[in-house]
Amino acid sequence: MSDSIARETLGVDLRDIHKQFYGVKANEGVNFQLRPGEVHALLGENGAGKSTLCSILAGLYRPDAGEMVIDGEPVVFKSPKDALAAGIGMVYQHFRLVPNLTVAENLALGHHNLGVLVDQKDLQSDAAELGERYGLPVDATARIWQLSVGEQQRVEILKLLYRDARVLILDEPTAVLTPQESQALFSTMRQLTDEGRSVIFVSHKLHEVKQVSDRVSVMRQGQMVGEIDTADAEPRDLARMMVGRDLELPTREEDESTGEPVLVVRDLRVPGDRGLESVKGVSFEVRAGEVVGVAGVSGNGQRELAYGLVGLRRPTAGSVSLDSVDVTEANVLEHIRQGLAYVPQNRLGMGLSPGLTTEDNLGLKAFREAPYSKGRQLVPAAFKTRGKDLIAQYDIRGVVPGLPIRLLSGGNLQKALLAREVEMQPKILIARSPTRGLDVGATEAVRNSILRERQRGTGILLMSEDLDELLALSDRLIVLYEGEIVGELTARMATAERLGLLMAGQKDGGN
Amino acid sequence: MTVRRIIVEPRGLASLRLTLTVPLLSVLAALVIGGVFLWITGDNPFTVYGHMVDAAFGSSRGVSETLISATPLILTGLAAALAFKMLVWNIGAEGQFLLGAIVAAGIAIAMGDTIPAVLAAPVVIVAGAVGGALWAAISAFPRVYLGTNEIITTLMLNFIALNLMNYLIFGSSSPWRDPLVSTFPTGRPIPDAASLPRFFNRLDVGIFIAIAVAVFAWYLVNRTRWGFEVRVVGDSPETARYAGIQVPRKILGVFLLSGAFAGLAGALFVAGPVGALDPRSLDLGLGFTGIIVAALARLNALAVIPVAILMGALNNAGPSLQSIGVPPEIVTMLQGAILIFAVGGEFFIANRLRRPELPPDVLATGAAA
Repeated sequence: MSDSIARETLGVDLRDIHKQFYGVKANEGVNFQLRPGEVHALLGENGAGKSTLCSILAGLYRPDAGEMVIDGEPVVFKSPKDALAAGIGMVYQHFRLVPNLTVAENLALGHHNLGVLVDQKDLQSDAAELGERYGLPVDATARIWQLSVGEQQRVEILKLLYRDARVLILDEPTAVLTPQESQALFSTMRQLTDEGRSVIFVSHKLHEVKQVSDRVSVMRQGQMVGEIDTADAEPRDLARMMVGRDLELPTREEDESTGEPVLVVRDLRVPGDRGLESVKGVSFEVRAGEVVGVAGVSGNGQRELAYGLVGLRRPTAGSVSLDSVDVTEANVLEHIRQGLAYVPQNRLGMGLSPGLTTEDNLGLKAFREAPYSKGRQLVPAAFKTRGKDLIAQYDIRGVVPGLPIRLLSGGNLQKALLAREVEMQPKILIARSPTRGLDVGATEAVRNSILRERQRGTGILLMSEDLDELLALSDRLIVLYEGEIVGELTARMATAERLGLLMAGQKDGGN
Repeated sequence: MTVRRIIVEPRGLASLRLTLTVPLLSVLAALVIGGVFLWITGDNPFTVYGHMVDAAFGSSRGVSETLISATPLILTGLAAALAFKMLVWNIGAEGQFLLGAIVAAGIAIAMGDTIPAVLAAPVVIVAGAVGGALWAAISAFPRVYLGTNEIITTLMLNFIALNLMNYLIFGSSSPWRDPLVSTFPTGRPIPDAASLPRFFNRLDVGIFIAIAVAVFAWYLVNRTRWGFEVRVVGDSPETARYAGIQVPRKILGVFLLSGAFAGLAGALFVAGPVGALDPRSLDLGLGFTGIIVAALARLNALAVIPVAILMGALNNAGPSLQSIGVPPEIVTMLQGAILIFAVGGEFFIANRLRRPELPPDVLATGAAA
């Protein structure tokens, strides 16, 4: 299967694509052309309709109206299988791999050319060969759950190449990668286009788009607002096209905190899901009015560290104190009462109760006290009035009273979540990837909230995989690698390159 | 070429009219299916249904018997509704009902007429609820602390409860068994002190207790802090943990309360219309019918009341069909069909079907293509 490159390269022409969800127009008369052999960046805020457009091209959704033309032939994809048969495949943000199967087995899964009996050895050598050729090294015999996020992404790309996809759609692939891994991905993308394949690269990081793409299409609010050659595109212009106005993301003001330590962590050890130690003796502190950033590739103990700090998982050793009170053994409620606010990574699955109303969700932390309850009784009127106030004050849009909160957009979900946590007037705020997946406008609102809290004197622990964000907001940075702190940098010393090296486990990268 | 088809999309909030219409249509559809069946087997469905309505509501005795049948169904319906709301799949209301009956009868017989009625009846009722809760606890604790599957344990315990009752009456000379009847064994009569006072034909005050419990359950879920926590756990256990809610304790509480409701139903039934631990009068599947009641009431505690009355009417009308030569099993069939349509109807409450709207210019070019 390795010598099938001779297949025709594809030109893709999407004409006047319309698609609605819940009456919201996700794509409204979108035109998009992809030339053979190019990296075509698709740029836009969240909710601009990029993923919808890609999913239509990949056969996951069917357009309400519009035409898809591949190499001059109109096509209708009834499923992703049809799209793959036509040579179009997509790597989704949430990977679609079977965790308990090996890399080779995942490649074989659903492949139409394979018979009933499959030779594992053949599969594995195929996988290894493909990986080598495209600079996507993975152990073909490893099971998916053993792999890092970056490796899983390589498997997804290999899966498409194994099916000889001519058009590869990568939906925000760099969101889960270190800067170094991103560079490796970019050279793979180059190699693919050199072979005549083409790549649709979805992103909202301007410098990456500038670096790797040949052309850029920009979407805003379901419409295509422009298409230009990357060489002619100024980042500032692209940003304006994306947002529709000039915009500066807020950054921290330069002043060192001299506040008292509000969170003190000493030699903390926290087990992972499988019982193995995931946080291996971590010590640090966060002062009042200070943002401490935690950098690291996902899966290096961030989640367990957060769980250990907020009381969701009992540490096996070490200590945590909040505002000079030892909370190592305390449960979640005691942490909350001690003034700890937590913005989890999983907004809808953990931070908010999807089926409850926005008003109920805004009261989710404070419902035990007045005005939300009176003794053991609930005061429904308080949920309504408090909810209404907070919705207005924090500019949470799209709320219809009585409707479940899950119907809100990602940005508004996060605004609601932050509103509730900040309203507690916490002493310490732990936030994990608070702007992940948010559009620029919502990102601005969330960052402003965090910086306002810093100004108010809250100690903030910001855990994020977005280096730009960490650099923009943090007074100090610590880097987690395999459950240990491998480096600590002041804001002045930190650069993306230094952090990237530390995140890859090279201790000497920092100092 | 233009693609055009029907779209299924989630509805945000279903209107009150819709949430009322769909269960009514479910009942109607079940009646139609049952009618077709009756017609095929040579009966006139209208005659049969007319007879059923008459038997259930046509006379003062019919009405009182319907309410007697409805009383335990309100409580087993609440047992299922409360548990299912929290994703606790307690399908053991049947066994918890029987244990409630066994414990209530046992206490009543043990006390005899030594205690005044104002005290004896409440003690017996509470004992029945405790019995149901304890039977549920056998499944609840392993579920919460060991992660066992409560569907299996509650289901299996139903058979154990049934056989326990049969053993007490048919297989042994236990205190529950009436020593005066030897040819056709039955339970020892509940002493007068513990029997529930009747006020309308055979109808006793149990119906008021059941309705009061339904109102209490609604209040508990919707108007108390505990209920708020239960709603969060039922919607998203992870979120509940995150918000500092003690999830295991909540699940345990709901499970035991669910068992208590079913046990209470058993106690009211033996201390009321049945008047003894009589297996033939208690082994009617009232716990299982409670699941249908809960589903049709869409797990709303107040809606359980009218739905239980409807199901009670069907149960009541069943035996009378024999007089016109129709098997009473038609009632069980109708109840099953109602459940299937109610569950299917959920889809239409949760989703809407529509044709995509097309902008005018697309319509124009689409027609040309």
